[in-house]
Amino acid sequence: MINKENLGYEAQKAYVATMMQVVGRGLAATSQVDEAVRQELSAFPAGYQICMTVFPAGPSFFLRMRADGTAEKVGSAIGKPDLTIRFKHVTHAFLVFSFQEGTAQAFANDRMIADGNLSHSIRLVRCLNKMETLILPKLVAERAVKRYDALPLSEKIRKAARIYGLVAKSFVAGI
Amino acid sequence: MSKPYYEFFCPVKIIAGHAALEHMPLELDILGAKRPMVITDKGVRGVGLLAHIEAAFAAAGAQIATVFDDVPPDSSLQTVRAAAQAYRAAGCDALIAVGGGSVIDTSKAVNILVSEGGDDLLVYSGAHVLKRPLKPLFVVPTTSGTGSETTAVAVISDLEKGVKMPFMSYFLMPNAAVLDPRMTLTLPAHITAMTGMDALTHAVEAYTCLAHNPVSDAYAQGAITKISANLLKVLDNPTDADGRLELAQASTMAGAAFSNAMVGLVHALGHSLGAVCHLPHGLCMNLFMPYALEYNKDTNGDRIAELLLPLAGADVYATTPAAQRADRAIAEIRRLRDEIHARCKLPRTLQETGKVSRDQLEQVARLTLDDGAIIMNPKEADYGQVMAILEKAWG
Repeated sequence: MINKENLGYEAQKAYVATMMQVVGRGLAATSQVDEAVRQELSAFPAGYQICMTVFPAGPSFFLRMRADGTAEKVGSAIGKPDLTIRFKHVTHAFLVFSFQEGTAQAFANDRMIADGNLSHSIRLVRCLNKMETLILPKLVAERAVKRYDALPLSEKIRKAARIYGLVAKSFVAGI
Repeated sequence: MSKPYYEFFCPVKIIAGHAALEHMPLELDILGAKRPMVITDKGVRGVGLLAHIEAAFAAAGAQIATVFDDVPPDSSLQTVRAAAQAYRAAGCDALIAVGGGSVIDTSKAVNILVSEGGDDLLVYSGAHVLKRPLKPLFVVPTTSGTGSETTAVAVISDLEKGVKMPFMSYFLMPNAAVLDPRMTLTLPAHITAMTGMDALTHAVEAYTCLAHNPVSDAYAQGAITKISANLLKVLDNPTDADGRLELAQASTMAGAAFSNAMVGLVHALGHSLGAVCHLPHGLCMNLFMPYALEYNKDTNGDRIAELLLPLAGADVYATTPAAQRADRAIAEIRRLRDEIHARCKLPRTLQETGKVSRDQLEQVARLTLDDGAIIMNPKEADYGQVMAILEKAWG
């Protein structure tokens, strides 16, 4: 188990900031690669904005929905986001992003506050779960999700490669 | 395994017992309130329940400044604005909610407007938008089920947009819950049964879902013990004031448990069935509880097993082998449902309701997957699994 005491808050913050960028880009990429995630997100109207952040002032990422059901990562929201998931402390975000605590268990442990339509939060969590199932090794993903739905290895590799590719492209493009 | 982290918050003063209503004038005076407004509905007023409160205030030389009795079953922004206007017109300084879930939610929302000023409630929608305490709010429940007197949440419909607006803030929590058996003594048997099963479900799910913690566990177990011991007794003898008081306390205890530990699949199914088929919430809980527990059993059977003690008592618990306790606990809930059905015909299956058609089940299943409660359920459920539960509940 990673010793979070030794990492210190600054290291945790740096790690969480990086992971926020990866997860935000990853979700946007997964919405282009995986039909189930695209269908989940298509319930949100075009222009719908999602923010995941850490109290009090980040790190954060923002997503904005397109009309075709895919998400794009954006630098900031226009006005108040429709759905904000706010971790109460960087240490809590670190627990989730280092896969020591699953997303549902983190909600149950009061690590974060959802501000917005609760059913939309549930959809977002399902999308996060699917993304983690696709891009993480099974041993790690099993810790992050309530139930690991095994995928055919070929599908997992093919989709993970596309998602990582799109994430890398997004980093290079500075989006 | 011990809980790695949890939070528990319940600042609501519980004023419970025979003649509890008579304590209200002093309790309001302590908070500096002299002119409370009562918010209620026409049903509560029609059966004369306000008379108990009015008499208690008159005997103490205290006054109720005005009564707003126009709360509908599903409260709306318009209702909240009208009540706030009545509050201001009468120069009130506190609120007393007398009723069930809709009245209590309305009162919480009215408290936002009369404390913060203005008429635009939507500004305060969402989580933790309020930043300071509101006016004193006392709640006198007239059913023993919702537990809303201990929650930090209110849901109000925006009829123009056709959406339900959630409000969540610790400042919405009432100052006091006043539990007096006179307020539930005339409740009809089927409503007593439905609301009792609602409270039981709050406690069972708080105990068995992901966010349970040692403090919520204590409240949940206490609530289950009281409901198991008193629900049938009260159905057999509706004027049993002691039994009514036990159920009222159980409901509030279950409310304190679930407002901290949340609920799971039974509520996700129940919210969805209620939305599609317009069935009362407590009935929906009664319909789904054993089937959802059976579904969860292979994930949290150890927690379900522990419920056998408050459900059936020490003798049954001690004589049931550990490996069979979860099944026996579920069987006890089924037995309770059968006993209730024998007394007041409360439906146990979707078929028995006579108001659900099979072709509605798919819509119920889809809504269930998007219900907020499902995230706290210990076991993931997909569309096929939810449909399988609905098929079992069909009967």
